[in-house]
Amino acid sequence: MLVAFARLVALDLTLSWRSLAGPLQDKPSHVRWALGVGLALALHLVAWPVGLYLGARESGFDTVVVRAGVMFVLPWAVASPMSALTRVLAQRGDLDLLLASPVSPRATFTARLLALGLEGVSPAAMLLAPLANVCALQGRPHWLALYPALLAAGLIGASFGAGLALALAFALGPRRARVVSQLMAAAIGGSAALAAQAAAFLPEGVRDRVFSFLQAAPNALALLTLPERAALGEPAALAQWAFAALVAFALAGLMLSGAFARAALLAAGAPAAAGSDRTTRFTADLGAALRRKERRLLWRDPWLLSQMGLQALYTLPIAFILWRNGGVTAQPGVAFAPTLVVIAGQLSASLAWIALCGEEAPDFVATAPATRRQVERAKIAAVALPVALLMAAPLAALAWASLYAATVAGLCAAGAGASGALLMLWRQAPARRGLVLRRHSQSKLVALVEHWLSLCWAGATGMAALGHVAAIAPLGLAALTLWLARPARVSA
Amino acid sequence: MTPALELRSLCKSFGKSFGKPAVDGLDLTVQPGEVYALLGPNGAGKTTTLRMIAGLLPADAGEIRVFGVDARRHPVEAKRLVAWLPDEPQLYDKLDPLEYLEFVAGLWSVAPALARARADELLESLGLSEQRRQRCEGFSKGMRQKVALAGALIHEPCLLMLDEPLTGLDAGSARQVKDILAARVQAGAAIVLTTHILEVAERIATRIGILSRGRLAAEGTFAALRGERAGATLEDVFLDLTRAA
Repeated sequence: MLVAFARLVALDLTLSWRSLAGPLQDKPSHVRWALGVGLALALHLVAWPVGLYLGARESGFDTVVVRAGVMFVLPWAVASPMSALTRVLAQRGDLDLLLASPVSPRATFTARLLALGLEGVSPAAMLLAPLANVCALQGRPHWLALYPALLAAGLIGASFGAGLALALAFALGPRRARVVSQLMAAAIGGSAALAAQAAAFLPEGVRDRVFSFLQAAPNALALLTLPERAALGEPAALAQWAFAALVAFALAGLMLSGAFARAALLAAGAPAAAGSDRTTRFTADLGAALRRKERRLLWRDPWLLSQMGLQALYTLPIAFILWRNGGVTAQPGVAFAPTLVVIAGQLSASLAWIALCGEEAPDFVATAPATRRQVERAKIAAVALPVALLMAAPLAALAWASLYAATVAGLCAAGAGASGALLMLWRQAPARRGLVLRRHSQSKLVALVEHWLSLCWAGATGMAALGHVAAIAPLGLAALTLWLARPARVSA
Repeated sequence: MTPALELRSLCKSFGKSFGKPAVDGLDLTVQPGEVYALLGPNGAGKTTTLRMIAGLLPADAGEIRVFGVDARRHPVEAKRLVAWLPDEPQLYDKLDPLEYLEFVAGLWSVAPALARARADELLESLGLSEQRRQRCEGFSKGMRQKVALAGALIHEPCLLMLDEPLTGLDAGSARQVKDILAARVQAGAAIVLTTHILEVAERIATRIGILSRGRLAAEGTFAALRGERAGATLEDVFLDLTRAA
């Protein structure tokens, strides 16, 4: 079993690595190595001054940094394997081959669990490992404890995530569980950002009472701070954290492997999801048919919607910070207007990318008796409605705070949305719909232009909301950028 | 009578580095009511030819006429008359068959009431009535093929181009598909199909064209292709012709 387990872990890690290094796969191996080493060196170079800064601050500052890291890494370490395991069950991939082979389901499951655990913490490891290395080189070797602490976090996260995913699969059925677990994973993954905001918005008195309660209960506090103390290199905490990880992993392997095999069989025999019971509305209008198809596909992919929602959610803290610190003005209306405009631009670009680049049957649509322009126009129109609907509620709330700011935000959101969609229309690069969050890796130049346009529209919104005529400058820059980004001008 | 499909000196190359052209001055005529099987070894140019007729690939040179409409100059008009079924059906996993047909009917601007009736009829005749409200994501290859075929037929095309249409179908489904295609041909449509299963071509094609290196190596009915060689199968004829070319 051990040999099979090792082989499966190696296979899973190889596949994960290839997926991570996807854009580099077509490069020769020496170029890939050179790029990898170059990236590692660059990250260490960037981390060096950060390490020096951390070293120069008083000793408690390390704790704050690590605590913040733990808050973000732990939820992600649970959410990522949970979502991945549900996908494995639904998409099958090599599952049929593995379960039909003489390899035991336990070996298959534990190998996948280990790989998922490592995958779950690998993004954090890529960012934090250079910092840990340079801090160790600068004379603070306790930072190296990040490695085992992260590994343990991965194992614990994968064990919990797998438990949750399998519980959902049995409770809701494999197909519904897929949707629910993806939404839950998105919520768990974003919980750190939400929790940070919730803490910031608690009234001062309530916040103080929560902290005093935690300080008065040393056992609870010790348990809560265990991963943080482990990551800071406290030997006893590190040992306890590692032990907890091994126990969680072993228990998951022993208790869940049977459930995994049963869930796989359940998923294989699950009937196809039923479509809508509503009467189908046939239409002779090409545009209407395309718009309806795009909206149906979007609505039926809650994972995509949740990911885009989270993307928008991560933009909100900027508005909170602006407001709390009295930036721009201390008025929430003016502080939130640029954020809404950025969200509208990003959502519009993402949805336009899905409709245009993520078309699942491009050849089939190309055989329809319509010009390419007609098809693209219908797709862009399909995108506009969901963006408008998503923006309606926050704009209405903004109007309650400031009608003028809401008007400015509405107009600029329309402009930002149109800019984002136009950019995607002009720079189409076909890909799978699920890769929408990685679309920026398709072309760095297009990604840069998209962010720049968002910045221009946000700047124009902020200035216009304050009544500055200078708002015309960023608007002009946005228009100039779009003009330059027309087809045949950008060489991405 | 206007031919259903006319190809004159059709050429297509995929860059100089690939050497010989994929389609090299192809001349071909298919009449309404004909089932024309385009055969050839891998890389002979069959799919490239079909993709050019469907408007998915621009031809380098030559003429493509669909019922007299110049498909290179008036692609939208030509596409109204044509349906193309690729060997790997392109469906939307999150749509059910009825929604898929609703979408396709909209693309070809079929009147709603007529589209609805045809959708019901096609799903019924292809044995998909029970699955009409199930999303395609769980469908087998054969079921996907049948849904795609229903999509290809809903606008009652005059010219059907089918790339390996019977792949993945069980015997019963293959019979259903052949019956539906026969009905379309009787109604005056023409079918151009490619297949590697020579028995299929032998049984359902009225004429057979054998492509080799982008050119038509031979063309005619099975009897004409067999010529003097009594007892020879289409496989024998095919191998002789493609080896000689």
